Amino acid sequence: MTAENLVFGASAAVALGGALLAVGLRNIFHNILGFALAMLGVAGVFLSLGADFLAAVFVLVYVGAVAIAMVYAVMLSHPMDEAPAKRSGAKILSAVLIAGGAAGSLWMLLGTAPWAAGHRPAMVTAAQIGARFLGDYVLAFELISVLLLVAMMGAVMVARRSGSGRGTW
Amino acid sequence: MVSAQTVLGFATALFGIGLYGLLQRRSLVAMLISLELMLAAVSINIIALTSHTGTDPVMGQVVVLILIGVAAAEAAVALSLFVAIHRSAHDIDVERLSEQQG
Repeated sequence: MTAENLVFGASAAVALGGALLAVGLRNIFHNILGFALAMLGVAGVFLSLGADFLAAVFVLVYVGAVAIAMVYAVMLSHPMDEAPAKRSGAKILSAVLIAGGAAGSLWMLLGTAPWAAGHRPAMVTAAQIGARFLGDYVLAFELISVLLLVAMMGAVMVARRSGSGRGTW
Repeated sequence: MVSAQTVLGFATALFGIGLYGLLQRRSLVAMLISLELMLAAVSINIIALTSHTGTDPVMGQVVVLILIGVAAAEAAVALSLFVAIHRSAHDIDVERLSEQQG
């Protein structure tokens, strides 16, 4: 077993375990912690695939930013002392059937496709990605920056408290 | 090295877990978490296919970076919408929200 296989196996186990915690636990804070764990695992999978810059970005964006924003949203919107509502068995069963059916059919499809024998993944440096972003993909790069600006302004406007303090922030 | 099929199988499992959470959870924040898990599975698929069998691995990473940017913008807008919904309806449980009229 090579080092790559070891890293991939450990990271995949962490990611799947974190994902199960993220959807399975009742407490929403535990869900967010499981989500952060799953994203760390996914970053490890990227590392084993030779995408080290992407792994760093994934940790920064998801563990560092999105999970923290989720914690803020939960603190502002969830009543802390309310007991979690009971889950209905029929809904759980139908969700398991639909998700299992979708994943199972994808799995069967994977088995039938003739995959080309993979070669060792080439290491991609951040410099190559940056050159590509400012070369061939410069339009997408600029559009993303505009999208992020608009999303940030929209988030501030939507979450702003209207009414008595309007206009005074 | 890890074969492409193994990585795609792992991404399929992650996608299935996310789909289950999206269908079963009732809190809007928990549904957003499940959606982000499914998006992560898509990112893994793109990286696995471009780094193993594609001819241009840099292009795959550029596409995934754009995907991360769009997902971050979506999460920011969605979370602020949840706060606004809670402010007007005092609840973010989708089943109780869907019973409200108007």
